[in-house]
Amino acid sequence: MRRMLLIAGREYLAFVRTVGFWLSICLMPLGLFVAIYASGMAAKSAPTPRLAIVDISGGSYGPQLTGALGSAGPTAPRTAIVVAAPGGPYADLARATAGLKPYLTGDLTTPAGVRLDDVAIVHGPPDSPSLDLWTRNIAEPGLQARLGDALSDAVRRTRLAHSGLSPAAIAALDAAQPAVTQFSPRSAEGKVSMRDRLPTAVGFGMGVVLWSLILTGAGILLNSVIEEKSSRILEVLLTSGSVPEIMGGKILGAAAVTATTLAVWLTTASIIASSMNPGLVGQIVDVFVGRGLFLYFALYFVGGYLMYATLFATIGAFCETTREAQTLLGPLMILLTIPMVFMGQAIARPDAPLLQALSWFPPFTPFLMAARAASGPPWWQVVGTATLMFAMTAGELWIAGRAFRTGALSSGRFEFATFVAGIMGRGEHA
Amino acid sequence: MTPALSLDGVTKRYGAFTAVRDLSFQLDAGTILGFLGPNGAGKTTTLRMILGLVTPTAGKVEVLGENDARRVRAKIGFLPEERGLYRRMTAVGAIAFLASLKGVPGGEAKKRARALLEANGLGEAANRQIRALSKGMAQKVQLLSALAHDPELVILDEPFSGLDPVNQQSLETIIRDLAGRGATVIFSTHVMQHAERLCDQVVLIAGGKKVFDGKVGEACAAAPRRLVLEGALSPDALACAPSFTRVDCEAIEAGRTRLTAELAAGVPVQAALKTVFDRDLDVIRLELKEPHLHDAFIVLTGAGGDS
Repeated sequence: MRRMLLIAGREYLAFVRTVGFWLSICLMPLGLFVAIYASGMAAKSAPTPRLAIVDISGGSYGPQLTGALGSAGPTAPRTAIVVAAPGGPYADLARATAGLKPYLTGDLTTPAGVRLDDVAIVHGPPDSPSLDLWTRNIAEPGLQARLGDALSDAVRRTRLAHSGLSPAAIAALDAAQPAVTQFSPRSAEGKVSMRDRLPTAVGFGMGVVLWSLILTGAGILLNSVIEEKSSRILEVLLTSGSVPEIMGGKILGAAAVTATTLAVWLTTASIIASSMNPGLVGQIVDVFVGRGLFLYFALYFVGGYLMYATLFATIGAFCETTREAQTLLGPLMILLTIPMVFMGQAIARPDAPLLQALSWFPPFTPFLMAARAASGPPWWQVVGTATLMFAMTAGELWIAGRAFRTGALSSGRFEFATFVAGIMGRGEHA
Repeated sequence: MTPALSLDGVTKRYGAFTAVRDLSFQLDAGTILGFLGPNGAGKTTTLRMILGLVTPTAGKVEVLGENDARRVRAKIGFLPEERGLYRRMTAVGAIAFLASLKGVPGGEAKKRARALLEANGLGEAANRQIRALSKGMAQKVQLLSALAHDPELVILDEPFSGLDPVNQQSLETIIRDLAGRGATVIFSTHVMQHAERLCDQVVLIAGGKKVFDGKVGEACAAAPRRLVLEGALSPDALACAPSFTRVDCEAIEAGRTRLTAELAAGVPVQAALKTVFDRDLDVIRLELKEPHLHDAFIVLTGAGGDS
């Protein structure tokens, strides 16, 4: 035990004493924050598109479309700035299209010297018009949706007016929207609120954090073992301690590094979240502790970390370079993208049959069960998947114990036969 | 008295390949043993079996009275053939860490590490990171890290490789000092001069089999003595002389040649000299060359120029 703690302590200090370690773990949340902030800033600072509306249907929909575009909200950026259509009036759709296209391509500008970004042409019968939207930005669907909704509303009002309804009656109809409220037996008050949805989001976040942490810790361990293997320190360690002591110490040390990483990330995230929404951190803590999610987190962190750390350490013992390790880890990393894809589904459909089935596959269990934890999965699933996960981890530890020494004593390039022999417990390299 | 190390019929096979075959030898406490053999002879595998890193396929290894070295690992110091330390650790930190793993308390380990570094001329490098040390200094630090826990048995795999002559000399002193204070030292090497100067006992292996086990002088006796003659000699000057098994001739300058004659086993030097004088040869220089361990190594292992 003393040797294990000594190795763990050295492992931990070797990482946390480097400037690179602190830079990388501080830059990660900072980078995330900057990315989110920059994304919002980029959207705000983008120039508002210039839109010309031409109505050749005779329904006079132009003012209503213009009005709809101006009601995006006090803080939201305007969808478009409506400018007078140049070169009009246009007798039909073909002429309007041909006349306005040069203003989109930049061959012509409006009398005010502006190049158009979008042109909306309303045509067809006035009580059943169509809208052609010509645009320079084909990746932006928002304007099309808003113009479509605005035209639908306008047509509906026109038809209702033609049916003999007064403007007051139409306004009363618009106001008489049905109130839709969501209820759930899982909500303490019956009515579903943001507070009720928070556990699901926390569960999803827990899965993602576990995925990142486990792979970060296992990656740290892999690099550490490769360094010791390539510099022959492992051979000296093997004459100083048993394989369980060495592996245990290294796994424990990397876990402490991972815990430090988590602490820094959580602190940074709490500061950022508090600055954006002061009550949010308290609510998340309440969900995490009050609903026992931290127990799931601890359970799946221990199981998942042991499972992947043991695997990565064993692979590292057979490799002298990270390139050699990558050939072995490639398929595993592809496999590990699967829980990432399915974790998102756990928010909306935590009980989806496929998600439940995948939760029983031990390599996915820590991530998928953590993401599903907030939805309260049946106890037998929690116990069953955890049992399988720990059984696989125990088996892995047993195999790794035999293989680690073979790998540590092997020399030269990685050989698949040696690796398999080590895994099978037949290898003791010359 | 229980030997410090005992191997009895030890064999190690990897599939169809036999790395070590029926190897037996014993080593008394406080002695220095040279473990010699050509490349691929099975030296490292044998050392790993002694250390308990590799399990023998057959036979028995007994180390410091235990049949598994892992039970007495705190009493063993080991320097592997390929060297390496944690590059970012300081010299004192690296030695203290490895000594701590061998059971020395933390504070005491640091104290010993500093004392060892001072005693071996590395005092000023104590707090420098390993990556900042020269190769020779780093090798010395690694050697000291194998000794800081005051081991009873020290196993050094090719300890002289990569060291300059000054550091080789210094290592020889360290090994003698270790034996002087009662530790048992076993080292593998290709440099026969070191083994000849240091060892009480040598074991030679070739192709995984022991070819010699005994004292250096006994090993040397396996190689023939040589008589070197220089003068106006014809290549067949010693032809058909029964005292010699082989005669090599080389021209050294105009009119002068050098004959190197191997004495037949059991032939006294006087008999060989009598043969030379009876033939009334024009000899201006004569030298008797006693065999060295290098010669014995070549004869016993059939290594040719491998050493």
